[in-house]
Amino acid sequence: MTTSPDFLLALAAMAAASYACRLGGFAAMRFVRSTPRLEAALRAVPLSVMVGIVAPSLGNSGPAEWIGLAAVALAMRLSGNNDPLAAMIGVAAVATARALGL
Amino acid sequence: MSRPPVPFTAAGVARGLARGSALSPGVLAYGVVFGVLAGEAGRSALEAVLMSALIHSGSAQLAALQGMATGPFVAPIVATILLTNARYVLYGAALRGWYGAAPPAGAWPSLFLLGDGNWAMAMKEHEQGRHDGGFLLGSGLAQFVPWTIGTWIGHATGSAIADPRRFGMDFMIVALAAAMATAFWRGRASLAPAGVALATALAVHAWMPGGWTALAAGLAGAATAWMLHDDES
Repeated sequence: MTTSPDFLLALAAMAAASYACRLGGFAAMRFVRSTPRLEAALRAVPLSVMVGIVAPSLGNSGPAEWIGLAAVALAMRLSGNNDPLAAMIGVAAVATARALGL
Repeated sequence: MSRPPVPFTAAGVARGLARGSALSPGVLAYGVVFGVLAGEAGRSALEAVLMSALIHSGSAQLAALQGMATGPFVAPIVATILLTNARYVLYGAALRGWYGAAPPAGAWPSLFLLGDGNWAMAMKEHEQGRHDGGFLLGSGLAQFVPWTIGTWIGHATGSAIADPRRFGMDFMIVALAAAMATAFWRGRASLAPAGVALATALAVHAWMPGGWTALAAGLAGAATAWMLHDDES
């Protein structure tokens, strides 16, 4: 359990940079006058980001990941949009498919 | 246009903890992976846990490990963290309409715990008409605690632990994002922003993979909704 002053200084800078990102957009929006157009744009952010997180796995993945995504879609439909449950079912499907060598 | 004040209650925190705990096993597994990597990179257990507690971002911490291993200069590492966490700027902006009316003493610490999973869960919570500001804090703690504890476990056990890929844990964030995308879908109005976001994400991923795809997709979807917005309606 040791550290050095150099590391702690670097850590302080890194932590400040990380928190600045988390706070920055929120704080900046205080000075931006909100319009219906801007609100429509911000409302589109969550779906677009989710699509952006899923997209890379569509390209460079095998049958196990495809089965996982299908399991998520099916679980969402059957569970009435219980997303953590659907995600865990998707993970279980991927683990099973990989265990079977897919 | 004035908004009603946003409550910030213990019940909201508890609800966030309960909902967020579904992600905790996956977060714990990745905390363990970071702990192993930090140990291999020569960081002490204290340093590894401090990084997880204070930087609190997997991709940024990996970049920091690499940066500290290659040179004594802090500026490039800070720049890398700003870039890998740039998507949080967008997340925070999207939260403003809701958290802007929450008590700052609750909102600011909650933002410290802002992550991909709990942000998506909170946005969905808000869309469904539940506005308690405690949710983001509770769901954030459900990630923060396993992330830091997992880091410590990983550092203590070293590379003896099993491959998290075997348990499909690397698929957790993708599976959650896919589920969330289904939940955020608003019919025909979602088609254009989601389509542009998908095309942008695939292009950016092919060109420069990493933390950029989600940010680029978010910006592209927002720009599409901005351009298509009809002021008359």
